[in-house]
Amino acid sequence: MPFNKTRFGRLSLLLMAIGFAALLTTKVGMLWLVEETRSFATGVITTQEIRTAAGRVLSLVQDAETSQRGYLLTAEDAYLEPYRHAMTELPREIPALVASIIADGGSEVAARNLQRQVEAKLAELAETVALGQAGDREGALALVRTDRGRAEMDAIRQVVAGIEARSLARGRARSEGLVSNGRLLLLGSAGALLLMLAVTIGAGLLARRYTQALETAQAEVVTANASLEARVAERTAALAAANDEVQRFAYIVSHDLRAPLVNVMGFTTELEAAVEPLGALLAATEREAPALVTPEARAAVLEDIPEAVGFIRSSTARMDRLINAILRLSREGRRLLHPEPIDFQALLAGLVATQQHQLDEAGASVSLAPGLPRIHSDRLAVEQIFGNLIDNAVKYLDPARPGRIAIRGRTSGSHVVVEVEDNGRGIDPRDHGRIFELFRRSGRQDRPGEGIGLAHVRALARRLGGDVVCRSAPGHGSTFRVTLALTAPAQPQSAAEDIPA
Amino acid sequence: MNAAAQAVTIVMVEDDEGHARLIEKNLKRAGVFNEVRHFLDGTSALDFLVGQGRPEHRPLLVLLDLNLPDMSGFDILAKLKADPQLKPAPVIVLTTTDDEREIRRCYELGCSVYITKPVNYETFAQAVRQLGLFLAVIQVPPTP
Repeated sequence: MPFNKTRFGRLSLLLMAIGFAALLTTKVGMLWLVEETRSFATGVITTQEIRTAAGRVLSLVQDAETSQRGYLLTAEDAYLEPYRHAMTELPREIPALVASIIADGGSEVAARNLQRQVEAKLAELAETVALGQAGDREGALALVRTDRGRAEMDAIRQVVAGIEARSLARGRARSEGLVSNGRLLLLGSAGALLLMLAVTIGAGLLARRYTQALETAQAEVVTANASLEARVAERTAALAAANDEVQRFAYIVSHDLRAPLVNVMGFTTELEAAVEPLGALLAATEREAPALVTPEARAAVLEDIPEAVGFIRSSTARMDRLINAILRLSREGRRLLHPEPIDFQALLAGLVATQQHQLDEAGASVSLAPGLPRIHSDRLAVEQIFGNLIDNAVKYLDPARPGRIAIRGRTSGSHVVVEVEDNGRGIDPRDHGRIFELFRRSGRQDRPGEGIGLAHVRALARRLGGDVVCRSAPGHGSTFRVTLALTAPAQPQSAAEDIPA
Repeated sequence: MNAAAQAVTIVMVEDDEGHARLIEKNLKRAGVFNEVRHFLDGTSALDFLVGQGRPEHRPLLVLLDLNLPDMSGFDILAKLKADPQLKPAPVIVLTTTDDEREIRRCYELGCSVYITKPVNYETFAQAVRQLGLFLAVIQVPPTP
């Protein structure tokens, strides 16, 4: 299963979300429980208040009844004091109790019933007290004997007991609800805790697995790097060996080609020398016995042999030049580079100055833009590269317009890029790659040269950790772009120095 | 031509017969008529120079090519210079190689003159004629 960064990120995010949701749920539950507890406490207080108030009402009514009885027995007004007190207090107490019961969710019917019963009782009391005060003691006692007052009193007691019982029941229900809620919340919290624990463990495992995957990947990268370095070293060594091989080959070939050439030239000259006495013989024969001289013999001695010798000579001379060129290149390739700090700007200015004579002769001008960096490279090689390019630019100017050669450069990363631009005759696009090959030239062959310069330039540029490319339009001019390492690469260990003769 | 030079035997070690012929021709043109012993490879040349039954007491001059089929001219040069009897004999290296390191190496090994065979025949002939002049003026010490 691919275990990448995205997957890890998504999974951890999901786990975190789950943990957070669990935490949030627990918190919400807690808040709810706190709220419940508070309302429970309020409920308990209300129940208590209702019971107290109900007790007080009952006690006031009983006080009033006792006071009535006392008054009726003694007919002394002092006994009516508790009755009067109840008569003033109850109209205040009753509505408050009713309101409390309704607010507590108690039965409104029961409350109204109590109010009614109390009012009826008070009416009965008022009636008897009024009869007593009027002097009709018998009438009042007769009213008491009707048991109306006792029945009303019993009814009040019943209602109050009912109110108390219901109030208690409500309190108990609340308490039970609170306990069960608390238990539920406890269970929920434990569940959330477990979930969070699971999430934490899951996240830990995930992180561990991801870390392991990362470590494995890192180890793989390290191994790959090591093997890559080894491969690079191997390839570099192989390349250096191949390069040595090529150099050696060029060297040996050029030497071994030279030996037969010495013979060709030598014996051609011997042949030429041998033609001389033959010519003399021909002249003598023509003088003394012209009949012996055939036109073929005459043509052979005077024309064919000298012509053949001439071609052999020019061809061998050319071959010698080519072989020397290969030899020179091979020697250049074997030359150890000596990188040193170079003021590139000054170096190019110096090169332009040394070419000034040719430039003047060709009627050309060179502009050298400032801004070239200091580099650490082989001075001779850099001079040869740009000497060749400037030389070429001067050599292949277009006679139709005054020559303009522009040299400019800039630093680009770890390299310096220098362009040598001319407005000369230009190079056919087909030849842009070919001109860098040995002995290959482009366009009209009206200038001396063997087709070595650019091959040399490219070989040098590559040795200095760069390259050279050409951009050109025939009839408009050419631009040669040279890239060189700011610091020439270290030279690979090469056996080229020890090439045997 | 003085008597000493006349008496000198020229040992030419040259695998290219054409070169050998051209050298001989030009030596003759330069007026050098010494005996020339020509060897086409290093083995036979060493056999003649330091091998069993070599003639004693004769002045020698060695013309040596460096590129030989069976061994390097350096080896022959080193062997000649290691031989007490042949050590004084002048050795002229005449070869196509014009590499500075090799020229230096030849001189270090004790060669008397190093001449590069030029492809240009006139220069070549000139070089051999100068060699003839050289032969005329040097005193080749008789090997003891």
